[in-house]
Amino acid sequence: MKKWWMIPVVAVTAIAVTACSGGSNPFAEGKDASGYPERPLTMVAPSGAGGGWDLTARSITKALVAEKLVDQTITVENKPGGGGAVFMAEYATKYKKDPYHFFVNSPPILINNLKKEGNSPYGYRDTTPLAQLTKDYGALVVRKDSKYKDLSSLIRDLEKNPKGVTIAGGSAPGSMDHVVAVLPAYESGLDPKKLKYVSYDGGGEAIAALLGGNADVIATDASSIGEYKKARKVRVLGVTAPKRLSGELKDVPTLKEEGIDADFTIWRGVFGPKEMSPEALQYWEERLKKLSTSKAWQKELKANDWQGDYKNSKEFTAFLKEQEKQISEILDKMGMAK
Amino acid sequence: MESLEYLMKGFQIALQWQNILFAFIGVFIGTCVGTLPGIGPISGVALLIPVTATMTGGMPPEQAAASSIILLAGIYYGAMYGGSTTSILLNTPGDSAAVVTTLDGYQMAKQGRAGQALAISAIASFSAGIISLIGMVLLSEPLSNLALHFGPAEYFSLMLLGLCAVSGLAGKSMTKALLMTVFGLLIGTIGVDNVSGISRFTFDYPPLYQGVEFLTVAVGLFALGEVFKTILERKDAEGKVAEVGTILPTRQQLKQSAAPIGRGSVLGFLVGVLPGAGATLATFFAYIMERKLHKDPDRFGKGAVEGVAGPEAANNGASGGAMIPMLTLGIPGSGTTAVLLGALVMYNIQPGPLLFEEHPTVAWGLIASMFIGNLFLLILNLPLIRMFTKIVDTPIKYLIPCIIAISIFGVYAVQVSTFDLFLLIGFGLLGYLLARHDYPLAPVVLGVVLGPMIENNMRRALTGSNGDWLIFLQKPISLTFLIASLLLLVVPLLLQMRKPKQNATEAM
Repeated sequence: MKKWWMIPVVAVTAIAVTACSGGSNPFAEGKDASGYPERPLTMVAPSGAGGGWDLTARSITKALVAEKLVDQTITVENKPGGGGAVFMAEYATKYKKDPYHFFVNSPPILINNLKKEGNSPYGYRDTTPLAQLTKDYGALVVRKDSKYKDLSSLIRDLEKNPKGVTIAGGSAPGSMDHVVAVLPAYESGLDPKKLKYVSYDGGGEAIAALLGGNADVIATDASSIGEYKKARKVRVLGVTAPKRLSGELKDVPTLKEEGIDADFTIWRGVFGPKEMSPEALQYWEERLKKLSTSKAWQKELKANDWQGDYKNSKEFTAFLKEQEKQISEILDKMGMAK
Repeated sequence: MESLEYLMKGFQIALQWQNILFAFIGVFIGTCVGTLPGIGPISGVALLIPVTATMTGGMPPEQAAASSIILLAGIYYGAMYGGSTTSILLNTPGDSAAVVTTLDGYQMAKQGRAGQALAISAIASFSAGIISLIGMVLLSEPLSNLALHFGPAEYFSLMLLGLCAVSGLAGKSMTKALLMTVFGLLIGTIGVDNVSGISRFTFDYPPLYQGVEFLTVAVGLFALGEVFKTILERKDAEGKVAEVGTILPTRQQLKQSAAPIGRGSVLGFLVGVLPGAGATLATFFAYIMERKLHKDPDRFGKGAVEGVAGPEAANNGASGGAMIPMLTLGIPGSGTTAVLLGALVMYNIQPGPLLFEEHPTVAWGLIASMFIGNLFLLILNLPLIRMFTKIVDTPIKYLIPCIIAISIFGVYAVQVSTFDLFLLIGFGLLGYLLARHDYPLAPVVLGVVLGPMIENNMRRALTGSNGDWLIFLQKPISLTFLIASLLLLVVPLLLQMRKPKQNATEAM
């Protein structure tokens, strides 16, 4: 047993480490808000490189740095797995009090937490929603030569024979495209369980299925369908926006215009740890608000063809609560709620 | 000529300085990787995916995807050049597609004509690369137009055909190949099912929700499997490096090889386009064909230059051909293109019928870069033959730790989870055990890639037809593929049954 001497060494080291960390905490708390980011910051995209979350995280970081809004360096980290569920499990437990890790998300943070299969036990309540930054809407799309000229004729057909129309989307059942796909039918009083939903791997594949005649209707993001409408390949029956959109989709009616009292926003926003000091919270609220009106951010929005929509922490949290209720009801009717 | 216009645009992308550099790095690594026995193009590409992801980190996604696929594809066709080096010098094929080259290449080396054999193989590879690229430019457009009308039913039948082809051809034993295919399919079922949204074999464990990452399986089985084999069996590479004689082939040798190169290129290209057939089969076909066509078939196996030229042209032709189903249909024609597909998906680029429409930068940039890459390869390979023989001499004790480190960093960089590292080690051990007992590993990888595609498309088709199985027979393209799959399975059996009969009649 030559390692006996290790015991006191380990003990001393342990005490020293505890003492140091214990000693530095009150010191840090005693500092005013301007001293808050003492270390480099991390913005996490809970997906692989190249996806929507990744792009958002990189754009936010780029604009924050370009406008010199944050004095510390910020790095973007990709934490893929389980549609964001893997990262959420880690974040809600290990980073609960760490005001140096932030992440971007969108409605899946609500959906993953509510749905039965592939459930994430953690949701937005395990975080501090800091700000919503962009918005997009769902769109219901048919081929240019489709017999459906408007949403109501589609709904009438679905009422007669729910299995007669193939509806496709780019994500698994119980996820965002599916929710958007069944929203108008559900709000018109149809049983969403009876609809025929076929899921593809991503929006691009769903569009290919539509163009190739293997799907009658698809649900997708309004922002991604513009170029196909421009190419006169598709007709957009409706968008889930509260008001008419601008640009390529300006002549597309909203669900409300079609007599369906519903809308659905596909937002993107920034979240922080659940337990944040008032200083850190104030710091981020200020910086993200400044960011939302900054030139660099407007440039990013334009480059990525996004629509800016800023909500502060309070508004954002209230909005999330509302959308959670909406999603929960639909998933329940689809028989896919937890 | 619309495609030529696109090709010119592709050259604009491929000729950007960073892409020229990436193409060069790719073909250089490819040549090295092909030269080293055990590290084939599959593990080479799989290992470099995370590295390129880091290298292209700061670029816009489309450009990053184009640059990294240029580099990764460079490794692929570069390895086809390099694979022959050790075949010729040491009688040790660098990858499966270089097996046939040993038959006559090693004989040439023994006769002191190693330099000529290597040079002929480089020239054959170059010519085939260019011929298959011209084929890609001219034929990929009609193929991609057809692809848009590929529905779930057609996809399903085509994938099935690919699976049948691979299982039948992958190894010595059909049973083992089928077993491995099924094993791959099983791994592919892990995760939240994309069609029903139900989770399977996930045990409510979030890291499993998206299934077992393909990269982890590939790196584990191939790279770590080889490492375990080397460590556990302590097989020191013996064999002397034969003296590399004069490099320049004679005028007569060039004349003799011209026709085999042409035939091998076209044959390789066509076989490569067929999903699942792949380069190895193409090289065997080319070798057999050259032997049948030659006036003096007995020269083969004794250092015939045609026996090097034909197969070498075929394996490079096939690597070009395999790019067509990959780029236009999203279907891997070989194990390596399966890995390349995985790399594209990582950049959120869905390989498939819309690749040329949606990502012309990536598709045409890649094709154009392959012209440049092939040129680099020729320039690299001719003068550097001597240097590459030195890499083979690297002591295993230095080689092994490097492979382990790259594997672990590679997988962790993509997955950022320790769970995947355990999976990686598990698959490494499995790869060793399977390879030791002669179970082919490529079918596992293809099962993992093709499995979810087969399943999802089958169920999409059935959802669309309200559960009517006839949909697979009603669509003409789908029916054709199904018949072809059936033939692929039945014909070898019939041939086997006929063989003993023939022998019996001869004996009588």
